[in-house]
Amino acid sequence: MTRQARLVLGLLVGLAGGCGKPAQPVVKIGFVAPLTGDQAPHGEDMLNGARLAVDHAIARGDVIPGQRLELVALDDQRSPTQAVAAAKKLAADPDVVAVVGHLNSSCTMPASAIYHQARMLQITPVSSNPQISRQGFDTFYRTCATDDLQGPAAARFVAQELGAARVFIIDDMTTYGRGLANEFEQALRGLQGTVLGHEGITQGDKDFTPLLTKVKAMRPDAVYFAGMFPEGALLIKQRADVGLGGRFMGGDGLFDPVLIELATPQASEGVYLTTIGSDVHRMPTAEAFVKAYEARFGPLGAYSAYAYEATSLAIWAIRQAGKKDRAAVLAAMKALTDYPGLFGLQNFDERGDSRIRDIGLFTVQGGAFVFVKSIGE
Amino acid sequence: MTPLQLFLQQLANGLTIGAIYALIALGYTMVYGVIQLINFAHGEVFMVGAYLALSVLLLLGISQPLTGPVLIGLLLLCAAAAMAGCGLLGWGMERLAYRPLRQAQRLTALITAIGMSFFLQNAVMLLYGATDRRFPALIPALRWDVAGVTITWLQLAIWAGSAVLMVGVQALVMRTTLGRAMRATAQDPQACRLLGIPVDRVIAVTFVIGSALAAVGGMLFGLYYNTVNFHDGYLTGLKAFTAAVLGGIGNIPGAMLGGLVLGVLEGLGAGYLSAQWKNVFAFVVLVGLLLFKPTGLLGERVADRA
Repeated sequence: MTRQARLVLGLLVGLAGGCGKPAQPVVKIGFVAPLTGDQAPHGEDMLNGARLAVDHAIARGDVIPGQRLELVALDDQRSPTQAVAAAKKLAADPDVVAVVGHLNSSCTMPASAIYHQARMLQITPVSSNPQISRQGFDTFYRTCATDDLQGPAAARFVAQELGAARVFIIDDMTTYGRGLANEFEQALRGLQGTVLGHEGITQGDKDFTPLLTKVKAMRPDAVYFAGMFPEGALLIKQRADVGLGGRFMGGDGLFDPVLIELATPQASEGVYLTTIGSDVHRMPTAEAFVKAYEARFGPLGAYSAYAYEATSLAIWAIRQAGKKDRAAVLAAMKALTDYPGLFGLQNFDERGDSRIRDIGLFTVQGGAFVFVKSIGE
Repeated sequence: MTPLQLFLQQLANGLTIGAIYALIALGYTMVYGVIQLINFAHGEVFMVGAYLALSVLLLLGISQPLTGPVLIGLLLLCAAAAMAGCGLLGWGMERLAYRPLRQAQRLTALITAIGMSFFLQNAVMLLYGATDRRFPALIPALRWDVAGVTITWLQLAIWAGSAVLMVGVQALVMRTTLGRAMRATAQDPQACRLLGIPVDRVIAVTFVIGSALAAVGGMLFGLYYNTVNFHDGYLTGLKAFTAAVLGGIGNIPGAMLGGLVLGVLEGLGAGYLSAQWKNVFAFVVLVGLLLFKPTGLLGERVADRA
């Protein structure tokens, strides 16, 4: 036995000794998203959704008879390194039988390999890069639409409905941003649109005026940004500062009220964005959820419903398995058909992607996001 | 937009962020000048300055642009509060973290500075929360068109504010007794002590001045980008440090020049080459310059102290 192992064992014995009576056995669901850092508002919204799902499940009775259900929330700080560390931590805990997470595709991608190796069910609520499910991991599921739908849908809207012929594309060089931007670019070229340029920015950077000034000189009809809201807000604000005209459109990463707050309502008026699913507020199947969520946590976040759905699915699989066993939970998930979820009857394809694949279109009006319509295929 | 107008616009963009880099770089260079310490917590002082200015605005409940004397008064109030708070922070940092290590190896103080930086980042995260905070846009979004080049009032305010401070610092160091004591301490603290110069107090004052300048930099940064985050001090601090090295560490006009040059290089690099290479470009230029002129743009070769 190594010295470290002995130390760990000693600690464990110490802990067990300190508890007095034997604790009730627990079965755990892992949850990982950025809970600190600039993307924490998204992570917090997701965590609230997951919490609500767990509480609803507990209210319905023990998931596994005699075992307490527990949510283990970890923070990946939107960093792939932290994501892998969190995944390893969850994989090493025998009580964890399923994971809900992560938010960023760049985090979900490397983490999915670790969950696959640990034979543990992973359901990502919102990581939309299509490559993740093409790795062939049977442990991977996802409850949202993917960017090979989102990008082309946005391109069709920009080219056909906004009538923008000349478009400049910006992405944040992450798995999500670059992937979405490439899908958009390819689709736009297919629609005979002119791509004036496609450049990357660095997450965490603040000064985009040099890039926007350059773009302004090209006089684009529209700028498309694939990235997250902290950078999106600065782009929208600085776009107004440098006097860059035309339309501004982005992907689901922008869908957070903080975007409008940081960018100011004036500068963000008329900005368009797509979401990886339709408007939750309009789903009759989600009405009870929305009511319960808003009563407890306030306004519904962009990704709260997906996190609730993913967590509920994981709990459903654990309930079906009936025991704390990763393989049994996976097998139960594989057998799922017509699960009555928030967005209708959930089914998954052979890659683990949800068959409910709608793309929503929102715009900013008077300082708030307003649903325009569904623009999925 | 003609190519010339575009170039001038990019120059204006670069000079704005460059002016902020220069203000922060002054603190790095002044502290290095007197005690040969790279105060890696200086970037965090800058970030704290932004948060202090934000706190004043939050306390007064101001979230909309203002005009006239009210605006100027408020800006001065924010600047004063941020400078006072950060000055105190700089003084405390020197007194508690660096002075006890004055006789220790240089590396010890450097590690302490890095620890201080972590401490400040996490303290601000716990106090203000981990998410981006909106910094109210105080200055009206008015712009001037000078021959097709757009200049905002905010940019003018940043240039004016930093120019005043830089001239002030230069005058303080070159023309006052305190400045002379600082320069003397930089040359030989041992001899200064023998001559009755209160070296410890001079060093403390240097920290206070450097931190106060960074505080103004933080406030201007908040006004310019309208968001602040607890880890903003990291990258911006690193850039300012680069600016100080670029200009010649320990040299005050060098820090100002280095800041402006770095800002312009970044702006032109992102504007003409590629935005995704913005940071790479700035650091490549630094490495290139140091290869040929290791002392930086204005730095002079001085013999290492024993």
